Amino acid sequence: MQDRPTASELLDAIADLLEREVLPAVQGPLQHQVRVAGNLARILGREVRLGPALDARERALLAVALGEEAGERTTRELSAALAARLDARDPDPGIEARSHAALLEIVRGKLSIDKPGYDAYDFAGEAGV
Amino acid sequence: MSGSHDTREGLARFLGECWAQDVEVSEFRTASAGARRRNLLFDATRAGGECVPLVATIIPNAAIQVMPMEVEAANLRAAESVGAPAPHLVGVSDDPSYVGGPFFVTGRVEGESIPRRVLRMVGEHDGLGARIAAQCGDALARIHRVDAAGVHPKLPRQEEPVAMALTAARQLLDGLLQPSPTFSLALRWLERNRPAEPDRLTLVHGDFRNGNLIVGEDGLRAVLDWEVAHIGDPMEDPGWLCQRMWRFRNDALEVGGLGRREDLRAGYEAGGGSFDEARFVWWKIMSTLKWGAGLAGQAAAHLDGTVPSIVMAASGRRIAEMEYDLLMLLGPAGASG
Repeated sequence: MQDRPTASELLDAIADLLEREVLPAVQGPLQHQVRVAGNLARILGREVRLGPALDARERALLAVALGEEAGERTTRELSAALAARLDARDPDPGIEARSHAALLEIVRGKLSIDKPGYDAYDFAGEAGV
Repeated sequence: MSGSHDTREGLARFLGECWAQDVEVSEFRTASAGARRRNLLFDATRAGGECVPLVATIIPNAAIQVMPMEVEAANLRAAESVGAPAPHLVGVSDDPSYVGGPFFVTGRVEGESIPRRVLRMVGEHDGLGARIAAQCGDALARIHRVDAAGVHPKLPRQEEPVAMALTAARQLLDGLLQPSPTFSLALRWLERNRPAEPDRLTLVHGDFRNGNLIVGEDGLRAVLDWEVAHIGDPMEDPGWLCQRMWRFRNDALEVGGLGRREDLRAGYEAGGGSFDEARFVWWKIMSTLKWGAGLAGQAAAHLDGTVPSIVMAASGRRIAEMEYDLLMLLGPAGASG
């Protein structure tokens, strides 16, 4: 175990430095890059805190969508397996509905790290055909 | 590439030949300098003293142009001929002796084009956003009156735009570093719900969105950036315009954060267009998928060293936004069978 500050505390410190000290001191295209880098440090801070639990949840959800045991497979492998099943027009009549439900929860989890609040908009009135 | 002094002299020489008189160029400044093209703002003074505000769009390196300048310039002419708001074309040349690369010169349309500033202006004027959305509909209806006979013969043609979009999407998904089950689900939906190929192929702007519009307090003044225009399915344009990406957090207003679909549709129909709702939704979902795969491609370009950039890297962490939009657009009812 590393001593404090933790990884997420250090990432927040890096984000603070980039946003409060570096950003006002630079100009031109570098400004945008520094802003992006600061935001990425915030994302990583949240990923360190939330990532492990979300990854375990994603693994379970993917197994449900696939209708299979996760076994020894990683989250990344299960995700690729589901994509492959969908690409191959898997005849399983329930796979799309199961996938939709699982993927929506998975994507909300990713957004809680990458862009909190993005999923507040519910597309009322514009979804479907 | 020549220096700014040479560029100014080159533009003065070019305009002098266009107008058959002596021209002086002044108030010369760079508006934007992307990797692919530069936009220069300047004033041209005619022999009689009349001062004309102009813009030169220059491709510094002809090898990287998306579309030959003559073809893009023909799009501007076609748009103007049907009364769509586009900058007036003054002249176009592929001769590098003027400014170091292919270029065209247009009239300069004053107004706001940066999306957040556009939305701020709209927020300060009641009814302006709805008016712009309706004007976008009218502009699109006019653009879509132009068919293959009215454009440059070298303008790209999509004879079967629906099939072509599906094939292109499949290729994008096959090239992903990490497969996205959400993208796969969306493509499966797009394949199952594919519309018939359109009855009529028309000029399609291809990047008609908040960010390529010049607006003022009186409404829409010009549509910019015609370099990805093509002959294709007219419903592609409103579909692309209405994806969430172009609303800049003003999510409830589907048309670029400016107005409602009803406003756009009313303008389109008043302009003589026939708005196909189901086809529109299909293209909107296709556009969202295409943009999502594009973000993944940017991240891949960073990772494989093609374009090492923190900004490109960050695009990979925006993929979830497009996945969310896709899942919400498909809806649980869309995901059946």
